[in-house]
Amino acid sequence: MASERTIIGQSTFVRGNVSGSGDLTIEGRVEGDVSATGEVVIEATGLVAANVSAARIVVRGAVKGDLVAEDSLAIAQGARVVGDLRAPRITIAQGGLVRGHVQTGAAGAARPRAASAGAASSRPRTQTNTMPATPTARANAQSVSIVNAPASVKETVRPARPNILAGSRPGPPPPVVPVLKKGTKAVQKKRHG
Amino acid sequence: MASTVIGAGITIEGEVTSDEDVVVQGTLRGRLTAKDGVTVEAGGTVEADITSGPVAVAGSITGNISSTDRVDLQNGARVVGNVKATRITIADGAQFKGNVDMDV
Repeated sequence: MASERTIIGQSTFVRGNVSGSGDLTIEGRVEGDVSATGEVVIEATGLVAANVSAARIVVRGAVKGDLVAEDSLAIAQGARVVGDLRAPRITIAQGGLVRGHVQTGAAGAARPRAASAGAASSRPRTQTNTMPATPTARANAQSVSIVNAPASVKETVRPARPNILAGSRPGPPPPVVPVLKKGTKAVQKKRHG
Repeated sequence: MASTVIGAGITIEGEVTSDEDVVVQGTLRGRLTAKDGVTVEAGGTVEADITSGPVAVAGSITGNISSTDRVDLQNGARVVGNVKATRITIADGAQFKGNVDMDV
């Protein structure tokens, strides 16, 4: 049967696993693992709290979980991803937010916890980690621009622009020692002394 | 056009909640709650309790159906479970095993 496209509509919430063959468009919310043989598109309205594995993944919405693509992985502008990315080809458009480990190269280099990579897990883990996450890349969600990076990784990690980070720092941290009112210190001293 | 479609090759195990139409061409196991209509097309399999608006079945359902509107069991449908609805039609060629509860 011709693989009909599956659509999780905007006001639809799925709690559980979604798996099978064919393409998948997520405009709503999904909590649970997603795996498909075709293309998985997470639209701008889509909210996914799950590991996603597919041949191709396109993210325009928000994902919390690992993304594993057999073929290619595209993070579009305005997308938010918290989780690891792994695919032979990864595109992160300008304005796409990624927080996590990014690894291009053969899908065979599976991490043990991404068990959904099927046949990949049977292969020995070849360390093709051509893109070791820099401390800054891991530390904060920042705007990374990797346009059509081939397997041999052409990495152009741009440091986050200050205006992006501005929102994440809401003023100075609260004082460790509570501020005492005038005179209280002396009173305490008197008490202890 | 339906907004949520579970395609032919896809299996969902778990809970689906929707405010819009749901069309099942694939497999759904768990629970299905929709404010609007539910259509189980030929080849679609639902092993779940369904709570929704109008239900049209041409595929297979194992589970109880509770509809605020009507339930149509079309030719080729196979339903095992209780049906609660205001109106119900069972077409020639539909298989049905279960109780019918119509609000009167």
